[in-house]
Amino acid sequence: MNSNVTSIKLVLLGEAAVGKSSIVLRFVSNDFAENKEPTIGAAFLTQRVNMADHTIKFEIWDTAGQERFASLAPMYYRNAQAALVVYDVTKPQSFIKARHWVKELHEQASKGIIIALVGNKMDLLESEEDRKVAREEAEKLSEEKNLLFFETSAKSGDNVNEVFLAIGEKIPLKKNDGSNNDGLRTTEDGRIDLNRSDDVANSSGCAC
Amino acid sequence: MLNSERRPSMAERRPSFFSPGPDGSLQSTSLLVPHLAGIEDPLPETTPEQVDVVIAGTGLIESILSAALAWQGSTVLHIDSNNYYGDTWATMTIDQLKNWTTLVNDKSSETRFYKDAKLYVSGLVSQGKFKSKNFGIDLSPKILFAQSDLLSVLIKSRVHQYLEFQSLSNFHTFENDNFERLTNSKQEIFTNQTLPLMTKRNLMRFIKFVFEWEKNTEVWEPYADQPLASFLVDKFKLEKPQVFELIFSIGMCRNLNTRTPEGLARIRRFLTSFDVYGPFPVLYSKYGGPGELSQGFCRSAAVAGATYKLNHKLVSYDPNSQTAVFEDGSRVRVTEKIVASPTQHPPNSGNIPPQKYEVHRLTCVVEKDCLQWFSEGENAAMVVFPPDSLKTGNTETVQVAILGSGAEVCEPGTSIWYFSTTQEGPRGDLDLDAALEAMIASILRESSEIPDDDELVQINPDGVSLVNSVKLGKSFKELVSKEQINFIMKLYYTQYTSTPPFDVVTPNLFDLNKSDKYMPGASDNGILYTSLPSGEVSYDEAITAAKLLYEKIVGSDDDFFDLDFENDEPDSKNNNKTMGNYDESAIADDDDDDDDIRMMDAEPVEFAGEMEI
Repeated sequence: MNSNVTSIKLVLLGEAAVGKSSIVLRFVSNDFAENKEPTIGAAFLTQRVNMADHTIKFEIWDTAGQERFASLAPMYYRNAQAALVVYDVTKPQSFIKARHWVKELHEQASKGIIIALVGNKMDLLESEEDRKVAREEAEKLSEEKNLLFFETSAKSGDNVNEVFLAIGEKIPLKKNDGSNNDGLRTTEDGRIDLNRSDDVANSSGCAC
Repeated sequence: MLNSERRPSMAERRPSFFSPGPDGSLQSTSLLVPHLAGIEDPLPETTPEQVDVVIAGTGLIESILSAALAWQGSTVLHIDSNNYYGDTWATMTIDQLKNWTTLVNDKSSETRFYKDAKLYVSGLVSQGKFKSKNFGIDLSPKILFAQSDLLSVLIKSRVHQYLEFQSLSNFHTFENDNFERLTNSKQEIFTNQTLPLMTKRNLMRFIKFVFEWEKNTEVWEPYADQPLASFLVDKFKLEKPQVFELIFSIGMCRNLNTRTPEGLARIRRFLTSFDVYGPFPVLYSKYGGPGELSQGFCRSAAVAGATYKLNHKLVSYDPNSQTAVFEDGSRVRVTEKIVASPTQHPPNSGNIPPQKYEVHRLTCVVEKDCLQWFSEGENAAMVVFPPDSLKTGNTETVQVAILGSGAEVCEPGTSIWYFSTTQEGPRGDLDLDAALEAMIASILRESSEIPDDDELVQINPDGVSLVNSVKLGKSFKELVSKEQINFIMKLYYTQYTSTPPFDVVTPNLFDLNKSDKYMPGASDNGILYTSLPSGEVSYDEAITAAKLLYEKIVGSDDDFFDLDFENDEPDSKNNNKTMGNYDESAIADDDDDDDDIRMMDAEPVEFAGEMEI
């Protein structure tokens, strides 16, 4: 059991149909990851990635369509340590929207959030004419806003793993300082694990 | 149940959601949620033209309902006229509260749900010492019992994975001008040296009884219509301090009229919740209470396919064409039902249920961390002022929830005090003020060892309370000049609700919209109105109400959150465990079926022994 697991909340943002979900599906069902089986509750997708000396557990939140009418809840951004802002390299409009999401993330999300700008659907580029968002333009935005930048194809899988590995490398390791720990049944980050009830019943000292 | 014969649910009419059983029957199987549900093809950019259910208002009851319906297979359009989630259950920043207060006090709008909102915000907020967005203030603060319907639904729906919970174990009762910490476990009763042996014995006898009170009808039935206090005194020879503790701190009742069965149920609620997750009966969510839970259920509904649109106002509904019209001119056909929170009613509505119960609230953000009120490692406490404990001679209790910055609802060095009472009329506010005064006096006394004297504390008109230095004598003068309580924010308001503070939600609450009662010309004929949050301190009403509404729409509540998620996370074996499996035996008996300790895998457990309280 690798005891060095860091959980990371990662949120997805981007215009409809740019391939947000496809990128994640490609990532969670890929060979390079520890568990082939993606798992989902009603909550989020999770995927573990083994880094050099520790494991990162991505908790990937999809917008579930709540962004369509500007109705993403504050809960979505809360404590997100990483975000993928996805656009479609063949759709200029989706890049404009990506700029908007980067701005939104800087306003709403936690300060240290790691943002990866992802130009997807590279497989559609049969010739350079098909490309409608210049690589240079995206690189410029990434430099200005301090973003990671990748061009991917969720369809072929090109560069998808690299996005998550790069995020994993930038994530500061969790400190094992035992703070937040009051002896309660808590998960690794100090909250009470509601999946478990307590077996400390004998502490009541009476068997009546 | 209303319908003798259950009609097929909307999910059942959508066979793709189900795998039929061997006999072709779908009735008995619970909904199996496939892998990757919710990650589907891109959704359209326009709202649907036709849905099964429209829900207006994103308060907790509506949000639970929305998630239940969406997972059951209904198409749901869930809207809110506000630009935030939560409606009357919202968690707000200070700036949002300013807007809310303005709206509530707007004379031109008909505000029959709130009255007399008075907001004071310290200049320190506009000057930037405190940031509005670092505060999450609940309009209807609630606490979550570890053994409750809502908690099982949170787990079953996995909405709990969106939330973080912390424990609350400190319950203080104000008695004889002093705060007593509650003796709330059997262990504490045994080790409490101050209780006479006879009292201990009676108390234990009662506790043993209350776990199974419903079965022992012969004991309590003669008292079914009498106040719980008479029952406790007559039958168990308990004395006033224990009676008050049981009724007001453990039972969290609002007054001495609480009848025996209801009171017993409330006491058992507390005791069975104890030791379910640890040595505490109550939890609350970080970053805010009902507002957070509402967002969680809405997200869950969205994952199941519900469409969300904030800033979207219902203008009218026509029950004949089953068409809802919205402010932006869009419209939707409703095949099943349209549901709305009373606050989201269309203009010219005629069917809003009367909101006859009053709750007075006072919410303060103070520049004090209040750590002395919390148990070690915790960030919240409850304080109860029982009847006649305040200088106003209050007849209803004042309940106070204190939340510290560790709950991530306020900045470090500050805390939020939520006062509430069901005392109606102007006396309500007087009781709240008296409770505030007693709290301040106690805080100042503890932090500076000032002699006990009510008149030491005065509250200036600007909301700053000062200790009266003249009364303190010379020796304390220096101390006193430093000691004062600064209010960062202070908000009074009265809210109205159709749900009584301590009764269960009754089904007929949602019967007011019978077609024979349609108001000619009203814009809301055919709309099913939900209920607004009551004065009850717990979340207990929310699931009851959501379930009743669900039954009204689907025809039965059999498949309310009847889902079973495929493939649990590989590292947790007990995901499907629901709280329903735990009864009082969890408290009384050794329960050793939980040997693997998940947290141990992740990180070594240490006890934080260094914390100063």
